Amino acid sequence: MIEGGWEYIWASYAVTVGGLGAAALVAALRLRHWAKRARELGKAKNK
Amino acid sequence: MFSTFANPARFMAFSAWAAPLCAVAALALFAIGLPWGLFSSPADYQQGETVRIMYVHVPAAWWSLAIYAFMGGASFVGLVWRHALADVAARAAAPIGAAFAGLCLITGSLWGAPTWGTWWEWDGRLTSMLVLFVIYLGYLALWGAIEDEEKAARLAAVLCLAGLVNLPIVHYSVEWWSTLHQASSVLRSGGSSIHPEMLGPLMTMAGAYAFLFGALLLTNMRAAIYRRRVEAVRLRSPI
Repeated sequence: MIEGGWEYIWASYAVTVGGLGAAALVAALRLRHWAKRARELGKAKNK
Repeated sequence: MFSTFANPARFMAFSAWAAPLCAVAALALFAIGLPWGLFSSPADYQQGETVRIMYVHVPAAWWSLAIYAFMGGASFVGLVWRHALADVAARAAAPIGAAFAGLCLITGSLWGAPTWGTWWEWDGRLTSMLVLFVIYLGYLALWGAIEDEEKAARLAAVLCLAGLVNLPIVHYSVEWWSTLHQASSVLRSGGSSIHPEMLGPLMTMAGAYAFLFGALLLTNMRAAIYRRRVEAVRLRSPI
C-alpha cells in the first residue's frame, strides 16, 4: 500500500476548490457586468 | 421543452430562480462531499490515502465528457432546427467543460505522481483526455476568432460535432489499449465494483459538480443573452 501522499491530496483539493471557485466568480461577474449594461441601455432608450 | 426555452424571455424568467437554486444545491453537496472524501472515507488497500483524489478527479472527468456530449446535442439542435438558444447553450457550456477537463488532467497528474511514479504518461486515456481539453480550447478559440456570430455558431457547431468522435475513444481507451490508467469501476457493464463507503462521497461529489454545471451554464447563458441585448440596442441606435 502507498504510504502518505497527503501533500498531493491537499494540492488536488486546493486546485479543485480554487479552480471551481474562480470559474463561479468569473461567471457571476460577467453576468453582473452585462445585466448592468443592459439595464443602463434600457433606461437610456426609455428616456 | 425545446420550444418552451426557444423564447429568451421565458428562459430568463426560468433561469432567474433555477441558477441560484442549482448554486445552493452545489454548495450544499460540496459542503458534504469535500469533508466526506477528505476525512471520513476509508483509505484504499493499494492506493492508501491517495484514493481521496478520486473524489475530485473522477467527477471532473465524467462531467467534462457529459458536458461535451451536451454541447454536441445543442450544436446539432442549433444546426438543424436553428433553435434560438441552442448555440448560446453550447457556447456557455464550453468554458465549464474546459475547466472540468483541465481539473481532471491536473488532479490526475497529482494522483499519478505518488501512485504511478510519474506525472504524465502518453497512454490512451491520458492522451485522449488531453485531446478533449484541446478540442474545448479550439472550440472557444473559434467562437472568439469569428466576428459574425451566426457564422461562428455554424462553424463551432460543426467542430463540436466532429469532436464527438473523441468521447468513445476517451471512455473505451482503457479497454482498447494497454494503458497505465485503471479500467472503469463505476460506469461499466456488470455494475459498480467500488466499495459502498467510497461510492457515497464519489456520488455526492458527482452531484455537486452536476449542480455547479447547471448553475454556471444558466449564469453564462443569462450573461450571453444580456450581451446580445446590449449589442442589438447598440446596432439599432449607433452613436
